[in-house]
Amino acid sequence: MSSAAAVTDASFEQDVLQSDVPVLVDFWAPWCGPCRMVAPIVDEISKEFEGKIKVFKLNTDENPNVASQYGIRSIPTLMVFKGGQKVDTVVGAVPKATLSGTISKYL
Amino acid sequence: MTDAPAGTAEPTPESLEVIRKFAETYAQRTGTYFCSDPGVTAVVLKGLARHKDELGGALCPCRHYEDKGAEVSQAFWNCPCVPMRERKECHCMLFLTEDNAFRGDAQTISTEEIHASAG
Repeated sequence: MSSAAAVTDASFEQDVLQSDVPVLVDFWAPWCGPCRMVAPIVDEISKEFEGKIKVFKLNTDENPNVASQYGIRSIPTLMVFKGGQKVDTVVGAVPKATLSGTISKYL
Repeated sequence: MTDAPAGTAEPTPESLEVIRKFAETYAQRTGTYFCSDPGVTAVVLKGLARHKDELGGALCPCRHYEDKGAEVSQAFWNCPCVPMRERKECHCMLFLTEDNAFRGDAQTISTEEIHASAG
């Protein structure tokens, strides 16, 4: 999985919703194959946008509350949060350019 | 890492073998291929086998469910799921159509490959 810090049901409010900068959250599950393809892309994004955004990963099996609250169905799902609100969603394994394009809209 | 051991426990060899054979047969029957990254295939096969052990059905491991037991009974996301059967759509990337950029050339995977690739 990506080397991003883990966020949980307990820390989501503090880490994601109250963040001063936009946040990318990688919703993943342990036995999800395509999640493994997304992880290195998320890591690259994390480096590319260092200081401009925060990046977290959330294990949906262990943190079902946040996953359900945001209507996560297909995994992997990547969500962008800004000012405590979900502002964008990318479903499935996507190329890095797609993801950085999505994030750039919210900087 | 905060991964819970319960969530990542290995499937039984029996279930893994049933799932492995099913996947090979189904790929050949539908003219689909496994992913060019065998790690993707291996993880999904293990996930399906785990769900078979836990729930009695091969529920798709690339979805989040409110109630896994109820989903198995409903069967929509039991592998091969309805979108796969109707439109050859597998968002888990287990069965990829010929035109998919991520597809490999294989329709078979050995037990050894599964364990070596799942990481």
